Amino acid sequence: MSSVADLTKRNLTVGVINTKAGNLFSLYACLNRIGYSTVQINNPQDMVTNQIDALVVPGQGRFGQVMKQLVATGLDNIVVDWIKSDKPFLGICVGLQVLFNQSEEDAGVQGLGVFEGNVERLNSPKQPMVGWSKLSSAVGGLSEKIVYFVNSYGVKQSSVTAATVTYGEQFVAAINQGNVWAFQFHPEKSGDVGEEVIKQCLSN
Amino acid sequence: MSEQLERVNNGLIPRVIVCLDVANGRVVKGVNFKGLTDMGDPVELALRYQEQGADEIVFLDIKATLENRANALETVRRVAQNLSIPFTVGGGLNSYTDVEQFLNAGADKVALNSAAVKNPQLINQIAEGFGSQCVVVAIDVNKDETDDYAVYVSGGHVRTEVNAFDWFKEVEERGAGEILLTAMHRDGTGIGFDNELMSRVAKERNIQVIASGGASNEQHFVDTFLAGSDAALAAGMFHRGEYSVQDVKKALKQQQILTR
Repeated sequence: MSSVADLTKRNLTVGVINTKAGNLFSLYACLNRIGYSTVQINNPQDMVTNQIDALVVPGQGRFGQVMKQLVATGLDNIVVDWIKSDKPFLGICVGLQVLFNQSEEDAGVQGLGVFEGNVERLNSPKQPMVGWSKLSSAVGGLSEKIVYFVNSYGVKQSSVTAATVTYGEQFVAAINQGNVWAFQFHPEKSGDVGEEVIKQCLSN
Repeated sequence: MSEQLERVNNGLIPRVIVCLDVANGRVVKGVNFKGLTDMGDPVELALRYQEQGADEIVFLDIKATLENRANALETVRRVAQNLSIPFTVGGGLNSYTDVEQFLNAGADKVALNSAAVKNPQLINQIAEGFGSQCVVVAIDVNKDETDDYAVYVSGGHVRTEVNAFDWFKEVEERGAGEILLTAMHRDGTGIGFDNELMSRVAKERNIQVIASGGASNEQHFVDTFLAGSDAALAAGMFHRGEYSVQDVKKALKQQQILTR
Protein backbone atom coordinates (compact mmCIF):
# COMPACT_ATOMS: atom_id res chain seq x y z
CA MET A 1 0.00 0.00 0.00
CA SER A 2 1.26 3.48 -0.91
CA SER A 3 2.15 5.85 1.88
CA VAL A 4 0.71 9.35 2.10
CA ALA A 5 4.05 10.74 0.92
CA ASP A 6 3.89 8.62 -2.25
CA LEU A 7 0.40 9.81 -3.04
CA THR A 8 1.30 13.48 -2.92
CA LYS A 9 4.06 12.90 -5.46
CA ARG A 10 1.66 11.93 -8.20
CA ASN A 11 -1.92 12.29 -9.18
CA LEU A 12 -4.40 10.28 -7.13
CA THR A 13 -6.06 7.57 -9.22
CA VAL A 14 -9.66 7.00 -8.21
CA GLY A 15 -11.45 3.81 -9.17
CA VAL A 16 -15.15 4.32 -9.74
CA ILE A 17 -17.21 1.14 -9.43
CA ASN A 18 -19.50 0.74 -12.44
CA THR A 19 -22.84 -0.16 -10.87
CA LYS A 20 -24.62 0.19 -14.24
CA ALA A 21 -27.35 2.12 -12.45
CA GLY A 22 -27.29 5.54 -14.04
CA ASN A 23 -25.25 8.36 -15.36
CA LEU A 24 -21.89 9.06 -13.74
CA PHE A 25 -21.00 12.06 -15.88
CA SER A 26 -21.16 14.51 -12.95
CA LEU A 27 -19.08 12.32 -10.67
CA TYR A 28 -16.28 11.85 -13.23
CA ALA A 29 -16.36 15.57 -14.12
CA CYS A 30 -16.10 16.46 -10.42
CA LEU A 31 -13.22 14.07 -9.68
CA ASN A 32 -11.37 15.34 -12.75
CA ARG A 33 -11.91 18.99 -11.77
CA ILE A 34 -10.33 18.20 -8.39
CA GLY A 35 -7.33 16.87 -10.33
CA TYR A 36 -7.77 13.11 -9.83
CA SER A 37 -7.33 10.56 -12.57
CA THR A 38 -10.33 8.26 -12.84
CA VAL A 39 -10.66 4.61 -13.84
CA GLN A 40 -13.94 2.79 -14.33
CA ILE A 41 -13.97 -0.50 -12.44
CA ASN A 42 -16.16 -3.09 -14.20
CA ASN A 43 -14.78 -6.26 -12.64
CA PRO A 44 -12.16 -7.47 -10.14
CA GLN A 45 -9.53 -7.70 -12.92
CA ASP A 46 -9.71 -3.90 -13.41
CA MET A 47 -8.46 -3.54 -9.83
CA VAL A 48 -5.36 -5.57 -10.69
CA THR A 49 -4.49 -3.94 -14.02
CA ASN A 50 -4.80 -0.41 -12.63
CA GLN A 51 -3.03 1.13 -9.69
CA ILE A 52 -5.97 2.41 -7.68
CA ASP A 53 -5.41 4.77 -4.72
CA ALA A 54 -9.01 5.34 -3.73
CA LEU A 55 -12.28 3.60 -4.48
CA VAL A 56 -15.72 5.17 -4.98
CA VAL A 57 -19.14 3.51 -5.02
CA PRO A 58 -21.31 6.10 -6.80
CA GLY A 59 -24.75 7.32 -5.87
CA GLN A 60 -27.03 6.39 -8.74
CA GLY A 61 -29.76 3.77 -8.76
CA ARG A 62 -31.70 1.57 -6.37
CA PHE A 63 -30.33 -0.51 -3.52
CA GLY A 64 -31.35 -3.85 -5.13
CA GLN A 65 -30.05 -2.93 -8.56
CA VAL A 66 -26.64 -1.84 -7.23
CA MET A 67 -26.24 -4.91 -4.97
CA LYS A 68 -27.20 -7.22 -7.84
CA GLN A 69 -24.50 -5.70 -10.05
CA LEU A 70 -21.85 -5.86 -7.28
CA VAL A 71 -22.59 -9.52 -6.62
CA ALA A 72 -22.79 -10.46 -10.31
CA THR A 73 -19.35 -8.98 -11.03
CA GLY A 74 -17.71 -10.19 -7.83
CA LEU A 75 -16.98 -6.58 -6.90
CA ASP A 76 -18.91 -7.02 -3.63
CA ASN A 77 -15.95 -8.84 -2.06
CA ILE A 78 -13.47 -6.35 -3.54
CA VAL A 79 -15.31 -3.45 -1.89
CA VAL A 80 -15.59 -5.21 1.48
CA ASP A 81 -11.88 -6.17 1.49
CA TRP A 82 -10.87 -2.64 0.45
CA ILE A 83 -12.84 -1.14 3.32
CA LYS A 84 -11.54 -3.72 5.82
CA SER A 85 -7.96 -2.83 4.87
CA ASP A 86 -8.82 0.82 5.64
CA LYS A 87 -7.86 2.15 2.21
CA PRO A 88 -9.33 5.51 1.06
CA PHE A 89 -12.98 4.86 0.22
CA LEU A 90 -15.97 7.01 -0.60
CA GLY A 91 -19.58 5.82 -0.88
CA ILE A 92 -22.19 8.24 -2.19
CA CYS A 93 -25.95 8.02 -1.52
CA VAL A 94 -26.90 4.43 -2.45
CA GLY A 95 -23.12 3.84 -2.19
CA LEU A 96 -23.51 4.57 1.54
CA GLN A 97 -26.67 2.51 1.85
CA VAL A 98 -25.19 -0.73 0.43
CA LEU A 99 -22.58 -0.73 3.22
CA PHE A 100 -25.40 -1.63 5.66
CA ASN A 101 -27.40 -4.86 6.08
CA GLN A 102 -30.56 -4.30 4.07
CA SER A 103 -33.01 -1.70 2.75
CA GLU A 104 -36.76 -1.15 2.75
CA GLU A 105 -36.35 -0.04 -0.87
CA ASP A 106 -35.71 -3.65 -1.93
CA ALA A 107 -36.65 -5.95 0.93
CA GLY A 108 -34.92 -9.33 0.92
CA VAL A 109 -31.76 -8.11 -0.82
CA GLN A 110 -28.63 -8.43 1.34
CA GLY A 111 -26.36 -5.40 1.57
CA LEU A 112 -22.59 -5.60 2.04
CA GLY A 113 -23.10 -5.55 5.81
CA VAL A 114 -19.85 -3.70 6.54
CA PHE A 115 -21.69 -1.61 9.12
CA GLU A 116 -24.58 -2.55 11.39
CA GLY A 117 -27.96 -1.05 10.54
CA ASN A 118 -30.71 -0.92 7.95
CA VAL A 119 -31.88 1.56 5.35
CA GLU A 120 -35.42 2.83 5.95
CA ARG A 121 -37.94 5.00 4.12
CA LEU A 122 -37.60 8.56 5.36
CA ASN A 123 -40.49 10.52 6.70
CA SER A 124 -39.81 13.64 4.61
CA PRO A 125 -42.33 16.52 4.48
CA LYS A 126 -42.12 16.39 0.68
CA GLN A 127 -41.08 13.30 -1.27
CA PRO A 128 -38.48 12.84 -2.59
CA MET A 129 -36.06 15.01 -0.59
CA VAL A 130 -34.33 17.09 -3.29
CA GLY A 131 -32.32 20.10 -2.22
CA TRP A 132 -29.70 21.73 -0.04
CA SER A 133 -29.52 21.22 3.71
CA LYS A 134 -27.10 22.00 6.53
CA LEU A 135 -25.24 19.16 8.29
CA SER A 136 -25.42 18.89 12.07
CA SER A 137 -23.33 17.11 14.72
CA ALA A 138 -20.66 16.91 12.04
CA VAL A 139 -17.03 15.93 12.56
CA GLY A 140 -14.07 18.04 11.39
CA GLY A 141 -14.28 19.24 7.80
CA LEU A 142 -18.00 18.47 7.51
CA SER A 143 -18.97 20.88 10.24
CA GLU A 144 -21.61 23.50 9.27
CA LYS A 145 -21.45 22.46 5.61
CA ILE A 146 -24.49 22.94 3.36
CA VAL A 147 -24.76 20.13 0.82
CA TYR A 148 -27.15 18.73 -1.79
CA PHE A 149 -29.40 15.76 -0.97
CA VAL A 150 -31.48 13.58 -3.29
CA ASN A 151 -33.16 10.69 -1.47
CA SER A 152 -36.26 8.92 -0.20
CA TYR A 153 -34.40 6.35 1.91
CA GLY A 154 -31.69 6.65 4.52
CA VAL A 155 -30.04 5.17 7.62
CA LYS A 156 -31.54 6.57 10.80
CA GLN A 157 -28.81 5.51 13.24
CA SER A 158 -25.27 4.23 13.03
CA SER A 159 -22.32 3.78 15.37
CA VAL A 160 -20.03 5.34 12.72
CA THR A 161 -22.07 8.52 12.12
CA ALA A 162 -19.93 11.52 11.12
CA ALA A 163 -22.81 13.96 10.45
CA THR A 164 -26.59 14.01 10.60
CA VAL A 165 -29.25 16.04 8.82
CA THR A 166 -32.88 16.78 9.60
CA TYR A 167 -35.68 16.94 7.06
CA GLY A 168 -38.88 15.88 8.79
CA GLU A 169 -36.75 13.56 10.90
CA GLN A 170 -33.07 13.17 11.69
CA PHE A 171 -30.97 10.66 9.75
CA VAL A 172 -27.35 9.86 8.95
CA ALA A 173 -25.74 12.27 6.45
CA ALA A 174 -22.20 10.90 6.67
CA ILE A 175 -20.33 7.98 8.17
CA ASN A 176 -16.63 7.61 8.82
CA GLN A 177 -14.21 5.00 10.10
CA GLY A 178 -10.51 5.57 9.46
CA ASN A 179 -10.03 6.23 5.75
CA VAL A 180 -13.53 5.06 4.92
CA TRP A 181 -16.17 7.72 4.28
CA ALA A 182 -19.70 7.59 2.94
CA PHE A 183 -22.20 10.37 2.36
CA GLN A 184 -25.96 10.30 1.98
CA PHE A 185 -25.64 13.63 0.14
CA HIS A 186 -24.13 14.19 -3.30
CA PRO A 187 -20.75 15.95 -2.93
CA GLU A 188 -20.36 16.00 -6.74
CA LYS A 189 -23.44 18.28 -6.89
CA SER A 190 -22.61 20.38 -3.84
CA GLY A 191 -20.52 23.10 -5.47
CA ASP A 192 -17.11 24.09 -4.10
CA VAL A 193 -18.04 22.69 -0.68
CA GLY A 194 -18.57 19.24 -2.18
CA GLU A 195 -15.23 19.26 -3.98
CA GLU A 196 -13.47 20.36 -0.80
CA VAL A 197 -15.10 17.56 1.18
CA ILE A 198 -14.10 14.89 -1.38
CA LYS A 199 -10.51 16.18 -1.38
CA GLN A 200 -10.32 16.05 2.42
CA CYS A 201 -11.68 12.52 2.59
CA LEU A 202 -9.76 10.86 -0.24
CA SER A 203 -6.40 12.58 0.16
CA ASN A 204 -5.94 11.36 3.74
CA MET B 1 -39.59 34.15 14.78
CA SER B 2 -42.72 34.42 12.66
CA GLU B 3 -44.65 31.28 11.88
CA GLN B 4 -43.92 31.73 8.15
CA LEU B 5 -40.21 32.08 8.73
CA GLU B 6 -40.14 29.05 11.00
CA ARG B 7 -41.85 26.97 8.32
CA VAL B 8 -39.34 28.09 5.67
CA ASN B 9 -36.34 27.37 7.88
CA ASN B 10 -37.54 23.91 8.87
CA GLY B 11 -37.56 22.67 5.32
CA LEU B 12 -34.79 22.50 2.79
CA ILE B 13 -32.90 25.70 2.06
CA PRO B 14 -35.05 27.72 -0.39
CA ARG B 15 -33.33 27.53 -3.74
CA VAL B 16 -32.48 30.53 -5.90
CA ILE B 17 -32.55 29.20 -9.45
CA VAL B 18 -31.28 30.98 -12.53
CA CYS B 19 -33.00 30.10 -15.77
CA LEU B 20 -31.20 30.18 -19.08
CA ASP B 21 -33.74 30.33 -21.90
CA VAL B 22 -31.83 29.03 -24.87
CA ALA B 23 -32.65 29.40 -28.55
CA ASN B 24 -30.24 28.20 -31.25
CA GLY B 25 -27.40 27.80 -28.74
CA ARG B 26 -27.68 31.32 -27.23
CA VAL B 27 -29.32 32.52 -24.02
CA VAL B 28 -32.29 34.76 -24.86
CA LYS B 29 -34.97 36.68 -22.99
CA GLY B 30 -38.42 37.71 -24.19
CA VAL B 31 -41.52 39.35 -22.75
CA ASN B 32 -44.49 37.00 -22.41
CA PHE B 33 -42.51 34.43 -24.42
CA LYS B 34 -42.20 36.88 -27.37
CA GLY B 35 -39.61 39.36 -28.71
CA LEU B 36 -36.34 37.53 -27.99
CA THR B 37 -33.12 39.40 -27.10
CA ASP B 38 -29.64 37.81 -27.10
CA MET B 39 -28.17 37.49 -23.57
CA GLY B 40 -24.98 35.46 -24.13
CA ASP B 41 -23.30 32.02 -24.16
CA PRO B 42 -25.03 29.33 -22.03
CA VAL B 43 -21.85 27.78 -20.59
CA GLU B 44 -20.31 31.13 -19.70
CA LEU B 45 -23.53 32.31 -18.04
CA ALA B 46 -24.13 29.03 -16.15
CA LEU B 47 -20.64 29.26 -14.64
CA ARG B 48 -21.03 32.94 -13.79
CA TYR B 49 -24.24 32.20 -11.86
CA GLN B 50 -22.68 29.21 -10.10
CA GLU B 51 -19.88 31.53 -8.91
CA GLN B 52 -22.48 34.04 -7.74
CA GLY B 53 -24.00 31.31 -5.54
CA ALA B 54 -26.97 30.06 -7.59
CA ASP B 55 -28.42 26.89 -6.04
CA GLU B 56 -29.40 25.38 -9.36
CA ILE B 57 -29.38 26.15 -13.08
CA VAL B 58 -32.32 25.50 -15.36
CA PHE B 59 -31.69 25.37 -19.07
CA LEU B 60 -34.80 25.66 -21.23
CA ASP B 61 -34.42 25.18 -24.96
CA ILE B 62 -37.38 27.28 -26.00
CA LYS B 63 -36.95 26.70 -29.71
CA ALA B 64 -36.14 23.02 -29.41
CA THR B 65 -36.40 21.16 -32.69
CA LEU B 66 -35.14 17.81 -33.81
CA GLU B 67 -32.60 19.47 -36.12
CA ASN B 68 -31.15 21.33 -33.16
CA ARG B 69 -31.01 18.24 -30.93
CA ALA B 70 -27.34 17.44 -31.53
CA ASN B 71 -26.38 21.04 -30.76
CA ALA B 72 -28.47 21.13 -27.62
CA LEU B 73 -26.93 17.87 -26.36
CA GLU B 74 -23.46 19.26 -26.98
CA THR B 75 -24.26 22.41 -25.01
CA VAL B 76 -25.66 20.31 -22.15
CA ARG B 77 -22.45 18.26 -22.11
CA ARG B 78 -20.32 21.41 -21.97
CA VAL B 79 -22.39 22.85 -19.13
CA ALA B 80 -22.40 19.58 -17.16
CA GLN B 81 -18.65 19.14 -17.53
CA ASN B 82 -18.03 22.46 -15.82
CA LEU B 83 -20.91 22.88 -13.40
CA SER B 84 -20.78 21.50 -9.85
CA ILE B 85 -24.36 22.32 -8.87
CA PRO B 86 -27.64 20.69 -9.96
CA PHE B 87 -28.66 21.28 -13.52
CA THR B 88 -32.13 20.83 -15.08
CA VAL B 89 -32.80 20.68 -18.80
CA GLY B 90 -36.11 21.20 -20.59
CA GLY B 91 -37.60 22.07 -23.94
CA GLY B 92 -38.79 19.74 -26.66
CA LEU B 93 -38.50 16.53 -24.64
CA ASN B 94 -41.19 14.26 -26.06
CA SER B 95 -40.25 10.70 -25.25
CA TYR B 96 -38.44 8.38 -22.87
CA THR B 97 -35.55 8.25 -25.35
CA ASP B 98 -35.29 12.06 -25.47
CA VAL B 99 -35.06 12.15 -21.69
CA GLU B 100 -32.47 9.39 -21.61
CA GLN B 101 -30.30 11.30 -24.13
CA PHE B 102 -30.27 14.45 -22.00
CA LEU B 103 -29.64 12.60 -18.74
CA ASN B 104 -26.75 10.79 -20.41
CA ALA B 105 -25.38 14.13 -21.61
CA GLY B 106 -25.08 15.14 -17.93
CA ALA B 107 -28.39 16.76 -16.96
CA ASP B 108 -29.45 15.94 -13.38
CA LYS B 109 -33.14 16.47 -14.05
CA VAL B 110 -35.40 17.00 -17.03
CA ALA B 111 -38.34 19.37 -17.25
CA LEU B 112 -41.36 18.02 -19.13
CA ASN B 113 -44.00 20.44 -20.31
CA SER B 114 -46.22 19.91 -23.39
CA ALA B 115 -45.23 16.24 -23.67
CA ALA B 116 -46.52 15.54 -20.15
CA VAL B 117 -49.90 17.11 -20.97
CA LYS B 118 -50.15 15.16 -24.22
CA ASN B 119 -48.95 11.88 -22.69
CA PRO B 120 -49.18 11.94 -18.87
CA GLN B 121 -47.99 8.32 -18.70
CA LEU B 122 -44.53 9.64 -19.66
CA ILE B 123 -44.20 11.06 -16.11
CA ASN B 124 -44.71 7.58 -14.62
CA GLN B 125 -42.32 5.98 -17.09
CA ILE B 126 -39.50 8.41 -16.37
CA ALA B 127 -40.07 8.31 -12.62
CA GLU B 128 -39.89 4.51 -12.71
CA GLY B 129 -36.91 4.40 -15.06
CA PHE B 130 -34.74 7.12 -13.57
CA GLY B 131 -36.37 8.06 -10.25
CA SER B 132 -38.83 10.81 -9.26
CA GLN B 133 -35.95 13.11 -8.33
CA CYS B 134 -35.10 13.71 -11.98
CA VAL B 135 -38.65 14.50 -13.18
CA VAL B 136 -39.60 18.15 -13.04
CA VAL B 137 -42.96 18.92 -14.60
CA ALA B 138 -42.97 22.45 -16.00
CA ILE B 139 -46.46 23.93 -16.02
CA ASP B 140 -47.30 27.23 -17.73
CA VAL B 141 -50.52 28.74 -16.43
CA ASN B 142 -52.37 31.89 -17.36
CA LYS B 143 -55.07 33.60 -15.36
CA ASP B 144 -58.16 33.93 -17.52
CA GLU B 145 -61.14 36.35 -17.44
CA THR B 146 -62.90 34.30 -14.77
CA ASP B 147 -59.77 34.32 -12.56
CA ASP B 148 -59.25 30.61 -13.17
CA TYR B 149 -55.87 29.22 -14.08
CA ALA B 150 -55.61 27.57 -17.50
CA VAL B 151 -52.70 25.34 -18.50
CA TYR B 152 -50.89 26.36 -21.69
CA VAL B 153 -48.56 24.26 -23.84
CA SER B 154 -46.22 24.70 -26.81
CA GLY B 155 -44.17 27.47 -25.23
CA GLY B 156 -47.24 29.29 -23.98
CA HIS B 157 -48.89 29.47 -27.40
CA VAL B 158 -51.70 26.96 -26.99
CA ARG B 159 -54.38 27.00 -24.31
CA THR B 160 -55.58 23.59 -23.14
CA GLU B 161 -58.76 22.54 -21.38
CA VAL B 162 -56.73 21.11 -18.50
CA ASN B 163 -57.60 22.55 -15.09
CA ALA B 164 -54.40 23.71 -13.42
CA PHE B 165 -55.18 22.39 -9.94
CA ASP B 166 -56.26 18.98 -11.25
CA TRP B 167 -53.03 18.86 -13.20
CA PHE B 168 -50.85 19.69 -10.14
CA LYS B 169 -52.51 16.80 -8.29
CA GLU B 170 -52.12 14.43 -11.21
CA VAL B 171 -48.40 15.08 -11.81
CA GLU B 172 -47.72 14.56 -8.11
CA GLU B 173 -49.60 11.23 -8.14
CA ARG B 174 -47.78 10.13 -11.27
CA GLY B 175 -44.44 10.51 -9.54
CA ALA B 176 -43.06 13.91 -10.48
CA GLY B 177 -40.37 15.17 -8.12
CA GLU B 178 -41.03 18.90 -8.52
CA ILE B 179 -43.35 21.34 -10.27
CA LEU B 180 -41.84 24.30 -12.10
CA LEU B 181 -44.82 26.63 -12.08
CA THR B 182 -44.72 29.59 -14.45
CA ALA B 183 -47.39 32.24 -14.13
CA MET B 184 -47.48 33.49 -17.73
CA HIS B 185 -49.54 36.51 -16.71
CA ARG B 186 -46.53 37.60 -14.61
CA ASP B 187 -43.74 36.60 -17.00
CA GLY B 188 -41.71 39.63 -18.07
CA THR B 189 -43.88 42.04 -16.06
CA GLY B 190 -41.45 42.43 -13.15
CA ILE B 191 -44.25 42.78 -10.60
CA GLY B 192 -43.26 39.67 -8.66
CA PHE B 193 -44.28 36.00 -8.50
CA ASP B 194 -47.96 35.02 -8.30
CA ASN B 195 -47.72 34.19 -4.59
CA GLU B 196 -51.42 33.60 -4.18
CA LEU B 197 -51.05 30.72 -6.62
CA MET B 198 -47.75 29.44 -5.16
CA SER B 199 -49.10 29.52 -1.63
CA ARG B 200 -52.21 27.58 -2.64
CA VAL B 201 -50.16 24.85 -4.35
CA ALA B 202 -47.77 24.66 -1.39
CA LYS B 203 -50.71 24.13 0.96
CA GLU B 204 -52.66 21.67 -1.16
CA ARG B 205 -49.87 19.57 -2.58
CA ASN B 206 -47.05 17.47 -1.20
CA ILE B 207 -44.55 18.20 -3.93
CA GLN B 208 -41.89 20.91 -4.17
CA VAL B 209 -42.89 23.99 -6.13
CA ILE B 210 -40.50 26.23 -8.05
CA ALA B 211 -42.05 29.67 -8.53
CA SER B 212 -41.47 31.25 -11.92
CA GLY B 213 -42.61 34.35 -13.80
CA GLY B 214 -42.54 37.98 -12.73
CA ALA B 215 -39.44 38.46 -10.54
CA SER B 216 -37.49 41.69 -11.01
CA ASN B 217 -35.87 42.25 -7.62
CA GLU B 218 -34.55 40.53 -4.50
CA GLN B 219 -37.68 41.23 -2.44
CA HIS B 220 -39.73 39.09 -4.83
CA PHE B 221 -37.68 36.06 -3.74
CA VAL B 222 -38.17 36.86 -0.06
CA ASP B 223 -41.93 37.20 -0.62
CA THR B 224 -42.39 33.96 -2.51
CA PHE B 225 -40.37 31.89 -0.01
CA LEU B 226 -42.46 33.28 2.84
CA ALA B 227 -45.57 32.42 0.79
CA GLY B 228 -44.47 28.76 0.62
CA SER B 229 -42.46 28.30 -2.59
CA ASP B 230 -39.63 25.78 -2.17
CA ALA B 231 -37.55 27.43 -4.87
CA ALA B 232 -37.83 30.43 -7.15
CA LEU B 233 -36.55 31.01 -10.62
CA ALA B 234 -35.68 34.14 -12.58
CA ALA B 235 -33.84 34.98 -15.77
CA GLY B 236 -33.93 38.57 -17.02
CA MET B 237 -33.14 40.37 -13.77
CA PHE B 238 -29.91 38.37 -13.55
CA HIS B 239 -28.99 38.42 -17.26
CA ARG B 240 -29.50 42.19 -17.51
CA GLY B 241 -27.09 42.59 -14.59
CA GLU B 242 -29.63 44.46 -12.45
CA TYR B 243 -29.14 42.00 -9.59
CA SER B 244 -26.65 39.26 -8.87
CA VAL B 245 -27.53 36.04 -7.07
CA GLN B 246 -25.48 37.41 -4.12
CA ASP B 247 -27.84 40.39 -3.88
CA VAL B 248 -30.79 38.03 -3.56
CA LYS B 249 -28.99 35.87 -0.97
CA LYS B 250 -28.10 38.96 1.02
CA ALA B 251 -31.73 40.07 1.13
CA LEU B 252 -32.80 36.57 2.22
CA LYS B 253 -30.21 36.59 5.03
CA GLN B 254 -31.40 39.98 6.20
CA GLN B 255 -34.89 38.51 6.53
CA GLN B 256 -33.39 35.56 8.47
CA ILE B 257 -34.25 33.08 5.71
CA LEU B 258 -31.65 30.28 5.54
CA THR B 259 -29.32 30.46 2.55
CA ARG B 260 -26.31 28.59 1.33
